Amino acid sequence: MSSAAPLARGKSQRRLERYVLPSLVGLLFLCVWDALVRISGSDLFPKPIEVARGIGELAEKGLLHKYIVASLFRVTWGFTLAMAVGIPLGLFMGWFKWAFQALNPMIQVLRPISPIAWIPVAILWFGVSDAAPIFLIFLASVFPIAVSAAAAVANIQPVYVRAARNFELSRFDLFRRVIVPATLPQIITGLRIALGIAWLVVVAAEMIAVSSGLGFLIIDARNAGKRYDLVVAGMVMIGLIGLGLDLLVRRMERMDVVRWGYHNQ
Amino acid sequence: MRSLVRVAALIALWVVLITLAHGAVNLDVFKPRRAGDGAKTFKIGFLPVTCHLTCPVTHFINKSMTGEEVFDPIRFNGWPELKEAYLSGYTQATFILAPMAMRLREEGVPLKIVYLGHRDGTAMMVHKESSIYRIEDLKGKTVAVPNRYSNQRLLLFKALRERGMSIEDIKLVEMPPPDMPAALYAKAVDAITSGEPFMGQTELDGYGRILYLTKDVWPDFISCVLAVHEDAIKNDRETVQRLVDGIASSGKWIDESMDHRMQAADFVSQNYYNQDPRLLQHVLSKPPDRVKYTNLALRRKDFEEIEALGREGGILEGKAGFDDYCDTSFVPDESVVKPYPWESPK
Repeated sequence: MSSAAPLARGKSQRRLERYVLPSLVGLLFLCVWDALVRISGSDLFPKPIEVARGIGELAEKGLLHKYIVASLFRVTWGFTLAMAVGIPLGLFMGWFKWAFQALNPMIQVLRPISPIAWIPVAILWFGVSDAAPIFLIFLASVFPIAVSAAAAVANIQPVYVRAARNFELSRFDLFRRVIVPATLPQIITGLRIALGIAWLVVVAAEMIAVSSGLGFLIIDARNAGKRYDLVVAGMVMIGLIGLGLDLLVRRMERMDVVRWGYHNQ
Repeated sequence: MRSLVRVAALIALWVVLITLAHGAVNLDVFKPRRAGDGAKTFKIGFLPVTCHLTCPVTHFINKSMTGEEVFDPIRFNGWPELKEAYLSGYTQATFILAPMAMRLREEGVPLKIVYLGHRDGTAMMVHKESSIYRIEDLKGKTVAVPNRYSNQRLLLFKALRERGMSIEDIKLVEMPPPDMPAALYAKAVDAITSGEPFMGQTELDGYGRILYLTKDVWPDFISCVLAVHEDAIKNDRETVQRLVDGIASSGKWIDESMDHRMQAADFVSQNYYNQDPRLLQHVLSKPPDRVKYTNLALRRKDFEEIEALGREGGILEGKAGFDDYCDTSFVPDESVVKPYPWESPK
């Protein structure tokens, strides 16, 4: 739809679609939430304004930035390690068919296991340090990254590789000039999905007795008696930061090298 | 390719920045170390419940009296994580459900119960509007217990049996105590039972009613005990003894006066449990003997009763006896134990 008449639409209309519409949906969501709590008469489930106050209270106590930093730290390391392992592993599996056949079944066995199931293993191996949640986040994101990288290589049109061979490109140049640009879009899509998963796992990962983080905030608030406003505050912060992360990866999709790949498809 | 390098550089920069930020705000790595900080390796696991109250109280009073931290209290959020951290050797000692400790011992885990953590301090709550007024009324109802190895379950077992009923007459579900109040509020279960303050919370919020307090069904009830790794007992008797003496003294201190109970409620809520102080104030005072912290010596007959119930309930096999899972050599003489000479600075 957007490509149908890109020039006909004015700047103001684009702004409307980009900012105003989502804001309206958000506002409507808050209103419905508020109304539902009022109708149900529940005094346990918080209204949006109470959640906002809860977030304010956390910020005032200086906990909000601490928790955000802690969660981002764990997701950063877990996800970066997953990229460092997952992308090379995926490229390797995509390029060598025997490697794919050898490794893929194992990956498919490990992939559907929820990080919650790994919690005991993480504690037994890493105790109760930052390493345990990082390990869980790593596990949750490494397989989607590897699978999408493998699929990206497998999907390269053979004609490009053949053409490159005809030009007698060295192995390194073949990798740099053909494989990387051709696979990057799909790898980045994989990364985007995996980052979403990594961030999703943060609550489960912080159920281990770490004493900071947005996931910890939720679990701690459950321990704290009737503080469901803080539980929802943690959920809201996780959601908002997730949105920010997604926007960031989308920016990566607009890079030159990536566009090159898109045009090829 | 160049923009790819740029992205990689940005990612690397972010990794460094977030690591530094985490180190600064959460791990205090940039603060100057005090002498002796490194020596504090004796970690004790606990949960934010009244059954484990003596753990933070001992730690807090010791720290403010001598500036010394004898041990490092580690707060967990649930039984499985607490148990796994102990099994992995991360914590050297832990407050733990008595039947769970006995079961672990049966399975060959090198632990010994060296002292109790409390007595009583559990309630069974029903919804204010429910038609359950006697234990007999629980027939056919759903009851939430913290864990299959919890003494709350065995207590229910005992209470039902004394009324000619059995566990088959009710539906048991396992549920983490922090989730119980909301489950009762939503009437997802008919009754809940766990350590405080989660039971008192339903009273404070106006929808829970006490069906029974443990002291009325099983006087001197033990939910949790202090268990220590056998290596610590072999190699570090001194620390274990200091710990047990500390718990005995802080128990006496808590039970010395209502004022001390309120002081404990305040500093534990703020510094360890992160709960509304009103919660602990409530369960430590209404009634005052809802949970007790004196008379914590290990008595053979208490444990043999738990053992018998545990065997009946199918959670213990009887492979370990009192002398296997208990080490009474640290238990101080109750008449000699003095409360800490300490008052909370207001």
